[in-house]
Amino acid sequence: MAKGLRWGRTWTVLAVLAALTLPLCVGCSQKNTKMETSIFAMDTVMDLTFYGVDPEAALKGVQEELVAGLYSLEEKLSTTKETSELYALNEQGQASLSPETAELLTQALELCALTHGALDITAYPAVRAWGFTTGSYRVPDQAELEQLAAGIDYTQLEVDEQEGTARIPQGMAVDLGAVTKGYAGDRLAQQLEQVNITSALLDLGQSTIRVVGSKPDGSPWRIAVQDPAGEGYLGVIELTDLAVGTSGGYQRFFEQDGETYWHILDPDTAAPARSGLTSVTVVGPSGLVCDGLSTALFVMGLEEGAQFWRSHPELEVELLFVTEDRTLYITPGMEEMFSLGQGYEDREVQVLQ
Amino acid sequence: MSKNAKIILILLLAAAVLSVGIIFMQKNQTPSPVARITLDGELIREIPLDEVEESYSFVVDSESGSNTILVEPGRIRVSEADCPDQVCVNQGFISDGTVPVVCLPHKLMIEIVGGGSEFDAAAG
Repeated sequence: MAKGLRWGRTWTVLAVLAALTLPLCVGCSQKNTKMETSIFAMDTVMDLTFYGVDPEAALKGVQEELVAGLYSLEEKLSTTKETSELYALNEQGQASLSPETAELLTQALELCALTHGALDITAYPAVRAWGFTTGSYRVPDQAELEQLAAGIDYTQLEVDEQEGTARIPQGMAVDLGAVTKGYAGDRLAQQLEQVNITSALLDLGQSTIRVVGSKPDGSPWRIAVQDPAGEGYLGVIELTDLAVGTSGGYQRFFEQDGETYWHILDPDTAAPARSGLTSVTVVGPSGLVCDGLSTALFVMGLEEGAQFWRSHPELEVELLFVTEDRTLYITPGMEEMFSLGQGYEDREVQVLQ
Repeated sequence: MSKNAKIILILLLAAAVLSVGIIFMQKNQTPSPVARITLDGELIREIPLDEVEESYSFVVDSESGSNTILVEPGRIRVSEADCPDQVCVNQGFISDGTVPVVCLPHKLMIEIVGGGSEFDAAAG
């Protein structure tokens, strides 16, 4: 009996010691190499991070392919590069398209239709008139705004995805800025999955973030959400294998005569969208949808935006709205992923149903 | 206790001490945030932010324009710039590695490294 007890104690000691050595094993098994690079592309800075177990030379090759993929999309989709397909379409009223551009234009048009034009990729002449493309800001007068608004109509853009062609009436112009980064994130994620990379964070300029899998230790990625009214972070969204799109009026804006004018325009008025929202964050499986929808929902406002979410469960998106009175409105799925940040614990959060 | 059991016990004890030591070392890496300022990818200045005692500012000139950078204890920002869009100035201070300050027209970037960050990225 006494002997049995002693042995029992020895086994307990052994078990405790064995448990203590566990971190050693975890340390050994992580042979993940971290690859990170920052590039200037698509009018922003992009930060691409991924982890892989292959030799570093192979991972370097993967990294170069990601960067090449981004630059190649930019070459096709830039509104300012004279060699781009979009430039040709805008200048000549018609263009032949690469399969990528045809696919993106088609999907973007579907999103315009789905949002009843709250997202409209033909708002480019208005964006230009306000000076948001160059930084030479100005406020167009009412007559000019009416004329600009009349020229925003995505239904006038014809895309034949099979033929690889697009046409647009004279005076109109297309800008895919609201969806390109989301689409790029989806494509890069596919590229990574093809080479069995299962842990990546693709920050395509803050407004669009795509994560692949989880962090190397298996925990979800932690994406902070900018406070539209300050320098802090409202909270954090924890997610795996999803995309995040955010739109707000606080990044690109200018002030004139005490008024603030931001870059997200309401296609109906050709003027900055004032819907009572200061930011919208969309999380979902498609980067393109998250990116484009964040803009559309910012234009729609809280009521219409929440109704849109209820009507379209097939999109599988979760939302976070911030209103001008600083209240947060979130969908139940977002509630599971989101927690308030330091200093924001007493912020009012309403859960949409 | 058999001889074998003793050997196993001693080996486990050694491994346990080692792994506790590793955890301890990892926890004890004190973060020391350093601001790295780059122009078109080229490093032009590094500032250890926890060694800053008094605020100061300086001007970074490039071919495309100039940015005035304001350094305060633990944080840094672009306080003035002659770029057209003023996005870098509007961003305000940063104090951790979550997001960099970027002036796209001048290809200027300020990022904070080595300070650790509570987040992997920021949406905004």
